[in-house]
Amino acid sequence: MPAQAAAGKAVTTVEGIGAAQLHPVQKAFMAHDALQCGFCTPGFIVEATAFCDQWRATKGTAVPSREEIGAALSGHLCRCGAYDGIFRAVADACAGRFDGDNVAAPRIEARDKVTGAAKYTVDINHDGQLEGLILRSRDAHARITVLDLAPARALPGVAAVSLLGDDRIVRYVGEPIAAVAARDRKSALAALAAIKVSSEKLPAVVGLDAGRKDGAPVVFDKASRKRAGNVSEAAGGPAPWKQNIRGPTAVFSTRAKKARSWVDEARQASNKLLVEATFRTATQQHACLEPHAAVARFDGDRLTLHASTQQVFHLKEQIAKRYKIDHDKVRVIADHVGGGFGSKASLGTETIAAIELAREAKAPVRVAYDRQEELSVAGYRPAAELKVALLASDQGGLKALSVTAHADTGAATNSTIAGLARLIYPAEAKDLSDFDVISNLPPGAAFRGPGGPPMAFAVEQSIDEAALRLKVDPIALRKRWDPDPNRQRLYDWASGLDIWRNRKPQQNGRYRRGIGVATGYWLYLWQPNVKVEVAVKGGRIVASTATQDIGTGTRSVLADTIAREFDLEPSDIDVRIGDSSLPEGPGSGGSRVTASVMPPTLQAVRKLKAAILEQATRKPAPGSNAPWRELIARSPDIAVTEARGEDGKNTAPGIRSPLREVGLMGMVFGWMMRRFSNIAVGAGVPSSVQVIEVEVDTWLGHVRVLNVHTGIAVGKIASPALARSQACGAVIQGLGYALYEARELDPNSGDVLTAGMEDYRIPGIADTPEINVHFDEAGFDHVLGNSVGIGEASTVPTSAAVANAIYDAIGVRLTEIPIRPDRIVAALKGRTAA
Amino acid sequence: MSVATAEVITAPEFRAAGTDLSERRRSGLSCGSIIDLTTSPDTIGITWGTDGAARIGALTAIAAIASDARLAQAYPGITAAAQGLATPQIRHMATLGGNLAQRSRCWYFRNPQIACLKKGGSDCPARSGNHLYHVAFDLGPCVAPHPSTMAMALLAYDAKVTTDRRSGLSISDLLGDGSNGTADNLLASGERIERIELPAPQAGERALYKRAISRSYAEWPLAEICVRAVISGGMFQQVHITAGGVAPVPLRLVASEAALQGKPANAASAAQAAELAVSGARPLPMTGYKLELLTGLVRDVVERIAV
Repeated sequence: MPAQAAAGKAVTTVEGIGAAQLHPVQKAFMAHDALQCGFCTPGFIVEATAFCDQWRATKGTAVPSREEIGAALSGHLCRCGAYDGIFRAVADACAGRFDGDNVAAPRIEARDKVTGAAKYTVDINHDGQLEGLILRSRDAHARITVLDLAPARALPGVAAVSLLGDDRIVRYVGEPIAAVAARDRKSALAALAAIKVSSEKLPAVVGLDAGRKDGAPVVFDKASRKRAGNVSEAAGGPAPWKQNIRGPTAVFSTRAKKARSWVDEARQASNKLLVEATFRTATQQHACLEPHAAVARFDGDRLTLHASTQQVFHLKEQIAKRYKIDHDKVRVIADHVGGGFGSKASLGTETIAAIELAREAKAPVRVAYDRQEELSVAGYRPAAELKVALLASDQGGLKALSVTAHADTGAATNSTIAGLARLIYPAEAKDLSDFDVISNLPPGAAFRGPGGPPMAFAVEQSIDEAALRLKVDPIALRKRWDPDPNRQRLYDWASGLDIWRNRKPQQNGRYRRGIGVATGYWLYLWQPNVKVEVAVKGGRIVASTATQDIGTGTRSVLADTIAREFDLEPSDIDVRIGDSSLPEGPGSGGSRVTASVMPPTLQAVRKLKAAILEQATRKPAPGSNAPWRELIARSPDIAVTEARGEDGKNTAPGIRSPLREVGLMGMVFGWMMRRFSNIAVGAGVPSSVQVIEVEVDTWLGHVRVLNVHTGIAVGKIASPALARSQACGAVIQGLGYALYEARELDPNSGDVLTAGMEDYRIPGIADTPEINVHFDEAGFDHVLGNSVGIGEASTVPTSAAVANAIYDAIGVRLTEIPIRPDRIVAALKGRTAA
Repeated sequence: MSVATAEVITAPEFRAAGTDLSERRRSGLSCGSIIDLTTSPDTIGITWGTDGAARIGALTAIAAIASDARLAQAYPGITAAAQGLATPQIRHMATLGGNLAQRSRCWYFRNPQIACLKKGGSDCPARSGNHLYHVAFDLGPCVAPHPSTMAMALLAYDAKVTTDRRSGLSISDLLGDGSNGTADNLLASGERIERIELPAPQAGERALYKRAISRSYAEWPLAEICVRAVISGGMFQQVHITAGGVAPVPLRLVASEAALQGKPANAASAAQAAELAVSGARPLPMTGYKLELLTGLVRDVVERIAV
């Protein structure tokens, strides 16, 4: 709608809704933690307020159904998957349960997010700020012969910089060529159009199948291989690399030859206990609702960068190194980050362009991707083809497991999918090979549990098939084959669920229901050198560390932890994060924030308590019910900074570093992670077991997920409401991966066709099932605070559990995701979908 | 190659609610001047003739159609279709005329960098490329399905369109037969839809609408149908079945309609009609599944209308 259409009308924004006093919907969102990163929250609040007001006017305090709420809010999307809380919040607000003054929020910044006060990088607006845009390649592979920025620079107020590498080759549609900044978007578009570019097209190759063909055009020659991106959370090791195929990476194999020969023998003998299948997973876009964005501003030689980043501290170091600026003259700020999921963990083009344009223009510059850029060139979880051979022994043990994964990494490398099958289901022999298939597509990036969901989709379906052939309950077989103590407890929980115990035999009608189970894990990672300062400042407790909150709830984890120690309320604690000038904090990746910040926080609290007591001139009143409150209020300013120390050796039985079980290669891997990626692999394995019920409409190919039970073992839960939000969001993203999400390409040009939210389909609120979250809080007693991260383990098993449930419903195994209607109807007819 | 200079991109365009136009302005697919349509009593709202026939002004909001009780009584297929399309926000703003005259949602058409028949190009890149969501009735050079759900529902009602220049246009007169791949409709340059006229409802007629999609809401239909029928003495009479999402224009499924005429209103008849829904279909390599969905839709909706 053009702004002029609102002439003479009153417009109420989210800021207006809560201006006088919070609307019941806002209070309900806060109380039910119906938000995570908060970027979509204003839209949900406005829509839910309109719905609630209308509902109350006609229906009083009746409670709307999930279906009514889902339909009313179906025009909004939340990538974090806060829908579970939104259902509860809207129902309660309509029912009148938030009409009073009761405002309580488990997430300490929730009020800012429901009132529109929270500022994201895209909201930053300095005086004289310019808008930057990026000129991108139209070709999948070309050499840029002419790049003339002069005509753009000749336009008034325009700055322009080249983003070409020194080889002047572009390797995918959308690869950055140059950037311009001008006073507004329109002028910047004109400046982009003024740039003169000529290129010489080179032969291109697009996708997993074409990239593997003999004689396919080579994307990276030997000299240019260092330009390839990275799809994992850590740096990769060396691997063979021939033409467009990098691999095999097979360091996690054990007795690989034996595994291969056993599988060959079993195949020749038509052994029924050999399960073999090829699985395909789709490219999943991160689809952050706040796009990649950076605002750079120079004051003399000091650079202030607002960035939508998962790593304020490390980004500062990368910038200082790249531009040879003193570390103390670069400051990276990210107050709020509208989603990341792994895609905002590097020094990206948006940041490089903003800095270089700001330097040339001598003015602040904002670069914010549009939706097409966000959904094409901002990273993705690579599609993969996985060949699995799983051989059970006659005695019902797991004899051999072979997984060969080819990942569709585009202009990037370092996929680990098959290798992750080493750390679960010990077998007599394992043959695990990973290959990157490089082609003229944008580079993939790390995405929430990189490699985990595709591995689980293939291996967990194979385990399910083995259970069928062995005629063993699928949970019982997992319990037999997977000795991990954390998951053993989760298997006991899952097998005791009513829904599992009351499973029904296969049905025949149009609508068929089925129940599936799957397991997932992620490594327990933490970041050495992390420091947290806990201080008394002006009579309040202030905690500071240079980490950031991408929607996971880092502020609350710190506030809740400290409040518990001092017997205060979380709102009594000021948490300062999102600023690289604070003590070194962890990146939000690898589920490592909680496990990195909680131990030093607890150590600092202990020392701070001692210091406060030591300097106290007056003891609290005898019998005071808030002695620390009194002490802190009267304390002089004291600051204590503690660093993340090593974990204790007092692990529970069976809990040890997963890498130890892999032997020497595991130790080498662990050493490399620490040395080159500043990530330590701890003992114990964060895990999730999920039981999911679906209903398949066999006429229209529609899959409805009815309910999800997710059991999660990540130690003690630091902030229960927020952990529940994360667990639900992980399931919802997993459902998207299982059922809806796929990047679609033009196979000839390499153009990404799913470049808008209409065509790239993430789950909506009405696609959200009932989610029952079970936390098993044991297993991490050796970690100070007993807590590790939840983000990744909790999303790994979802797609496999859905696929197993669909098999249970219709008796056909869907080996390719997303399991869309076209694939369901094809599978039911025994046809291969297009 | 950029198509920003193609004539179709620089032509003047009408703006009703602008729900689609705003996006095309931003992406560079619409660069010409804009003519804002102004509401007048004749273009907004629903009026009723003495014979019970409705006229709907072209600028009537989809949400107003979706929630109109009298319309729901007389033309339930139209209100159901209005309730089922897009999102609540879009329905709130978007107009009936805009829905009929909207541009293709083809992902090649929407990419301003890619040439196609509808942007002055010489061929259809979807045909040789990725056409997962495209037509299963290949009726012309362009393989994008027509996006208008309302057109599909209005076709089931033999609605007539009045423009500022012509009157009595059928939906086929408005949208063509799919053989012209260069445009989404046959309106002349500068011609604007003013209102839609519906014939008076038949006694006892009923109708249902349904779309097949992968998620629950907010998705362009993989296939959609509207079934309208009179059931008298337990027999199907005057059956109209129209389908969207499967062809360059909304289709009448005449073979299914004929199969139901005079047949018992029961599940067996529905199943027979469903098998004939794909008569004349010519799926593309990636769209064969739409025939199964169309069959399923006809069986589902005809079964429900029979009870």
